Amino acid sequence: FEMECRVLSIQSHVVRGYVGNKSATFPLQVLGFEVDSINSVQFSNHTGYAHWKGQVLTAEELNVLYEGIKLNNVNHYDYILTGYTRDTSFLETVVDIVQELKRLNPKLVYVCDPVMGDQGSMYVPENILPVYRDKVVAVADILTPNQFEAELLTGRTISTEKDALDVMELLHQMGPDTVVLTSTDLTSPHGDQFLVALGSQKMVRPDGSKSTQKIRIEMPKVDAVFVGTGDLFTAMLLAWSHHHPNDLKAACEKTVSVLHHVIKRTITYANGMAGPGKRPNPAQLELRMVQSKKDIEDPDIVVEATIL
Amino acid sequence: MECRVLSVQSHVVRGYVGNKSATFPLQVLGFEVDSINSVQFSNHTGYAHWKGQVLTADELNVLYEGIKLNNVNHYDYVLTGYTRDTSFLETVVDIVQELKRLNPKLVYVCDPVMGDQGSMVSIPYDDVDEGSLLSQVMDLLHQMGPDMVVLTSTDLISPHGGQFLVALGSQKMVRPDGTTSTQTIRMEMPKVDAVFVGTGDLFAAMLLAWTHHHPKDLKAACEKTVSVLHHVIKRTITYANKMAGPGKRPSPAQLELRMVQSKKDIEYPAIVVEAIVL
Repeated sequence: FEMECRVLSIQSHVVRGYVGNKSATFPLQVLGFEVDSINSVQFSNHTGYAHWKGQVLTAEELNVLYEGIKLNNVNHYDYILTGYTRDTSFLETVVDIVQELKRLNPKLVYVCDPVMGDQGSMYVPENILPVYRDKVVAVADILTPNQFEAELLTGRTISTEKDALDVMELLHQMGPDTVVLTSTDLTSPHGDQFLVALGSQKMVRPDGSKSTQKIRIEMPKVDAVFVGTGDLFTAMLLAWSHHHPNDLKAACEKTVSVLHHVIKRTITYANGMAGPGKRPNPAQLELRMVQSKKDIEDPDIVVEATIL
Repeated sequence: MECRVLSVQSHVVRGYVGNKSATFPLQVLGFEVDSINSVQFSNHTGYAHWKGQVLTADELNVLYEGIKLNNVNHYDYVLTGYTRDTSFLETVVDIVQELKRLNPKLVYVCDPVMGDQGSMVSIPYDDVDEGSLLSQVMDLLHQMGPDMVVLTSTDLISPHGGQFLVALGSQKMVRPDGTTSTQTIRMEMPKVDAVFVGTGDLFAAMLLAWTHHHPKDLKAACEKTVSVLHHVIKRTITYANKMAGPGKRPSPAQLELRMVQSKKDIEYPAIVVEAIVL
């Protein structure tokens, strides 16, 4: 059976490596999605290397590309996917595009990773926050903030699991029916080698009443800095929630499992390349994406989400 | 497999030409593909409208410089296609030369895209000696540089009739004793009554992949390459005709290659063509 599902992904392009569109596109394609990709930048590689060089797309140039698609009457999408963006007018143009695409297809799902920072510090200009908070989140359907980004968007602090659930409820009210806190500082019952993620999905029952499924999911921590894993997570959440639209538990278990396999393969390779006792460098730590094709297509489930 | 390709081609937001056509198939076959997008357009230029931006030769240099500064300018293959700008193309040549100094075994796969259906050589249909004229052309091309030449399409008439497209290939090899030999092949592909875009880019990418696996067997490499093209085109025309409806010619949008749907054929192509060794 041939799936007919078209994604518009607006993210960075790097010549070498796997972040942004490079991280999202191949996995979605192997899962049978048609991916139209607008590259918001073209850089030699991600900014964790010693050097990086390239060019950025302006809001105007983004408009021009969208205009081409529109003039040909092919501006019909089932999903939109966005990630790391540094420019407020670019992000505002994205919102305009999302709104128009939603008018053309009311069932369109906007999967938004509101990338702003991590571990208490912002790595985008501060003026991006109000655009996400006041304009983008309102049109998002699936939102994948980390704890820090969720705190920024809601103005709240998260110290306990209850705090996190409250923040996710606030985010629901701001727009998205599905919210996944992709990482938190919460302590896992299994110990501090585990990273806790939480998810919440609002659904409408057949009788019209509403329900919310809340889950907790834990992933073993890996002692390395990976880049592009967030982009892969969001892309795979798009894919697996497409197949499990009313089952956040199943969608998240598959998504997290894919991440696990890709990360494990990557760290094994990276350590092998670096040699004993040496920390791998950013080039060696690039995700082993093409080598993980089978895990992407048919992930072994290695994690169980707890329904809260 | 540990094999890295630098592909310098167009990017289109929608559809499958240039890097969009080459990258996914190479990735599913396990190649690492580093891609420099020479342009970013909304779609290919066969649609009613197209819009976008081009990369200058300077910007190409800047991107390569980033790769070089990080000491990751090590490639097994370079792949290029449609280019309109002379200084861009000259910069590509500089990059290829530097990459070859760093890796003398690097293989540069070049599709010299310039035009079609305007041949300067006129071949009488009833007097062609196994395309001997084109064999001479391929020999000349060998002397100019490449050890492998594939004439991806010709106006030769197939012995099987006018519904077949004839392609020719020639590979120079060095025998263990140091003497050179040339394998020349002919292949025929059923013609399809439609204009496809991106098939040439897919062909070049798949020829890269299958000659990698069959470095001394042009026959096998070309049979796999042509077979992949056949499956993708067949799936595409079936879909396009269905979308257009009975009696209607499909549009460029409908004729976009069914690339992601053809993943299994790309991975494990059923061989549907036999190349004849000449």
